[in-house]
Amino acid sequence: MTSLLTVKLRRDLQAAWSRIVLMVIAIAVSLTVFSGVLYAWSAINRETEQAYLRTEPASATIRFGPPIDAEEMAAIAAAARRRPGVIEAAGRAQFTSEIEVNSRARDIPLQVFVAAPDDPMRMAKFWVRQGHWPPAPGKIFIRRDSLALLDVAVGDTVTVETPDGESARLRVAGTVYDPSLAPAPQQQTGQGYLSTASLARLGEPEVLDQLKLQVAEPGQAAPSRDREAIAAVASRAGEWLQQEHGLAIREIQVPKPYAHPHQGQAKALLSALLTGAGAALLLSTILVANMLNGLFVQQIPQIGIMKAIGAPSGRIGLLYLAMTLTVAGAATLLALAPGLLIGRAFAPRVFRFLGIEADSVAAAWWTYLGVIAAGLVLPVLMALGPLVKASRTTVRAAIDYRGLGSSPRVATGFLARLGRIPRFDRSLLMALRNTSRRPARFLLSAGLLASAGMMFVAGMSAREGTKAVAEEAQDKLRWDVVVKLANPTSVEALAPVVERVPGVGRIEGWTIASAGVSGPGKIPITRTYPDQGHGSVFVTAIPAGTTMLKRPELQEGRWLRPGETGAIVLSQVTLANTGFDVHAGGTVELSVDGESTDWRVAGIVEERGDAGGAYVTAEGLAKALGQPRWSNTLRIATGNHDERSREAVANAVDGLLTGAGIEVQSAVSVGQQEAATGGHLEPILVILLATALPMGVIGCIGLASAMGANVLERTRELGVMHAIGASPKDVRRIVVAEGVFTALASCLLAVIPALGLTAAMGAMLGNLFFYAPLPFRISFLAAAIWTVLVILGAILATQAAAIRASRLTVREALAYL
Amino acid sequence: MGHAIQVRDLVKTYPQSAGEFVAIDHLSLDIAQGELVAVVGRSGSGKTTLLNLLAGIDRPTSGTVRVAGAELGSLSESGLAAWRGRNVGLVFQFFQLLPTLSVAENVMLPMDFANKIPVGERRDRAQHLLERVGVGDQADKMPATLSGGQQQRAAIARALANDPPILLADEPTGNLDSATADAVLSLFADLNADGQTIVVVTHERDIRSIIGREVTLQDGRVVEDERTGVPS
Repeated sequence: MTSLLTVKLRRDLQAAWSRIVLMVIAIAVSLTVFSGVLYAWSAINRETEQAYLRTEPASATIRFGPPIDAEEMAAIAAAARRRPGVIEAAGRAQFTSEIEVNSRARDIPLQVFVAAPDDPMRMAKFWVRQGHWPPAPGKIFIRRDSLALLDVAVGDTVTVETPDGESARLRVAGTVYDPSLAPAPQQQTGQGYLSTASLARLGEPEVLDQLKLQVAEPGQAAPSRDREAIAAVASRAGEWLQQEHGLAIREIQVPKPYAHPHQGQAKALLSALLTGAGAALLLSTILVANMLNGLFVQQIPQIGIMKAIGAPSGRIGLLYLAMTLTVAGAATLLALAPGLLIGRAFAPRVFRFLGIEADSVAAAWWTYLGVIAAGLVLPVLMALGPLVKASRTTVRAAIDYRGLGSSPRVATGFLARLGRIPRFDRSLLMALRNTSRRPARFLLSAGLLASAGMMFVAGMSAREGTKAVAEEAQDKLRWDVVVKLANPTSVEALAPVVERVPGVGRIEGWTIASAGVSGPGKIPITRTYPDQGHGSVFVTAIPAGTTMLKRPELQEGRWLRPGETGAIVLSQVTLANTGFDVHAGGTVELSVDGESTDWRVAGIVEERGDAGGAYVTAEGLAKALGQPRWSNTLRIATGNHDERSREAVANAVDGLLTGAGIEVQSAVSVGQQEAATGGHLEPILVILLATALPMGVIGCIGLASAMGANVLERTRELGVMHAIGASPKDVRRIVVAEGVFTALASCLLAVIPALGLTAAMGAMLGNLFFYAPLPFRISFLAAAIWTVLVILGAILATQAAAIRASRLTVREALAYL
Repeated sequence: MGHAIQVRDLVKTYPQSAGEFVAIDHLSLDIAQGELVAVVGRSGSGKTTLLNLLAGIDRPTSGTVRVAGAELGSLSESGLAAWRGRNVGLVFQFFQLLPTLSVAENVMLPMDFANKIPVGERRDRAQHLLERVGVGDQADKMPATLSGGQQQRAAIARALANDPPILLADEPTGNLDSATADAVLSLFADLNADGQTIVVVTHERDIRSIIGREVTLQDGRVVEDERTGVPS
């Protein structure tokens, strides 16, 4: 490019500075969001993987029925290490207990992880931040993020119940950082770490009930990423333990390899964000390409002159390429620092969501290159078509160029009919006609606003869908207090005692137990994580004549008949968690407390918001296990359903039963259970909604630019209007009305895509979290809010163009070329 | 003296809804080097179409156009642009100076495109040309600050930037008052006196006093080709 063309470029940019600024802002805003997410994404991926893998997570965990002596477990682990495919093995134990802190009961349970004091911690590691492994006898470590949840501090004394039901008083001697688990506040469960020596001091047997394995592909030293291969090796190990050692296997847990329990959510969140930010970036570059096209088109007469005096197309192309690169470069430069700030502010929030302490929030080097490339290359690619077209304009085409067509192209018949309505405001009619004079420009402006509106309405609607899940869960709760008993007990015997507690309405005895589901004769394999929450399966035995059950929706087959034995209903979550494909009429093996029994599948149900469910009748479970029809859970409906009444009843029943010598594992209000399910989706939805904002800003910039270009192209026409008596206010009103009509059209345009996106988002999020789509809900409030916002935005966006149009003098307008 | 322009059996038609409109109808014309020729005729007679064909702006439907030794039909769009830069100076009715370049920069721009004048001489040459057309003192001003006459003089200076053998002007005085128009025509006469070949499309009757030859068009055909007696 010659120095004179550089001068021309500089002055052209100066002459169109307001539009150039809008273009730079449009790209900079979306690139800032995109780069912020990309920087955070790279840091989160790296740090999450590093933190999780540093714990050397077990590939599989074999859970035994009755626990095994710690010494025997050490011998089994040593033998397991010699098995093909096994590179590491260790025995561990785990139990969940109610907790008292300094003799005051807490509502939150404590999940206790137990290892032998001489465990070398080569696998399923955690880091003791204050103190050293193992804790001295009589002492316990508490996971750091559980401290606030349990309102406990180092030095406090906690009381837990051992698996044998004995109370153990332990002093909190230190804290633990364990990035392999989901954060305690999200699970509403605290975590503690004990050695078997601590249990032995309390007179408890030194036993372990889990064998953890790390599995590698043949010839490899690193743990396998192939879940199928891991499950196969673990299955063979399970059979070996059954056959060679005569051990009862409850289940084999094989979670997704190399994936933190919340990795799926984090991935979904980041993917949704990157997609939203990428879409905003794409839309902004399309907008900028359109605005640049407007500038190029405006320059057609000048291109003609340059061609007439000897300029080849290549040089003209270079001039406009330089113009495009100037806009893209300025936007990229502007976006670098705020993008970094957003990334560094956002990543720590996700780390908290994952319970990870990151070593660094620095983004990977390639992301900077990616952002620079996206900022510079994308606008050029989008503008390439108009750029080449403009530079190849012939002198003849330049001479023939007449600017904006004078007649509206679409909706003419409809507008003509509107025009025949007596007293219909002519200026509004004119504005309506003007809106459709440049169909491509109108569609782009309306399309940009519609995209933002679609994101906003779909995000809010998906939020309604998640609320509906919570409402469904609420609707299923026909009870107020759940009392978990340490040992199954006859409800008939308990009911007269419990009914004496003031506020207690109806009582039902249920059995809810951790279970494994597999094909007949096979060891159940689940996707359960070490927290025993993610991916776990529970069997629910339904008492006869229950009024506390809302049947889940049937996908196939039928529901259980009263008193039916040998029949089971499985939920789709159970099938997903076990990776087991079975249909109504098929047979499954249910493993409860180490007892395996065969069941006929009566039906498959769909449920959301729960852990994996398997339903049988109380009679069926009792018959299968050869036990009396006793229950391990009391469900109590209270007279008043407020939280205070519920908690009062829970505490009173707990006290009464304990006083009567019945061991109570926990007695809590259902209000507490709701807190654990609500927290997972909200961050994703908030962020999805947040992506609508930059898109809305870009949409308004698009509208402002389109209106600016419209006014510029209609300069002469507006001059004529002034000449025939239109006041500045009239002209301003027409221009603003055009913007408002475009905004309203965008709302109409957004309707169908918003419905589609809501359904897609509901399916994506629902299947990710619940293995079923979210209930389809449309947020009419969101649609109303967006309509108001977009109209206000349109009024603001058209102000500059409207003011310019209203201030044009007739002389200026007629002199305009 | 050789021919600067040779047109043979030239036809230019435009498709219209009612059929083809014939703008140039089997026209042949020779213009010698150093001639100052006025192409006159009523509106729609084909004057501007002929000039556009001579400048390579339009392509003929049939026939040949040979200007400054080049057969225009054989050149591509880019080839035509390069050819124009070196061989033809164009002057338009509405001056068509680039609004974001100063007057001197407008004159230097064709030199940059053609790369015929050494870089170090371009500024001096632009100043010299502007002085020659009488607007040397306006060199550093932006076009919008000049009067119509001054802009047209600057446009003529730009047309002469690469010392082209042929100057083509389309209604160069059509947007000027009569005194300014006389001055511009007189400038053409001076340039022609220095040996410049000039073809002017015009409505001006007063031009007869300075031109050597007047070609009258009607319905796309030459109906009169008159030598005026003015030496050119």
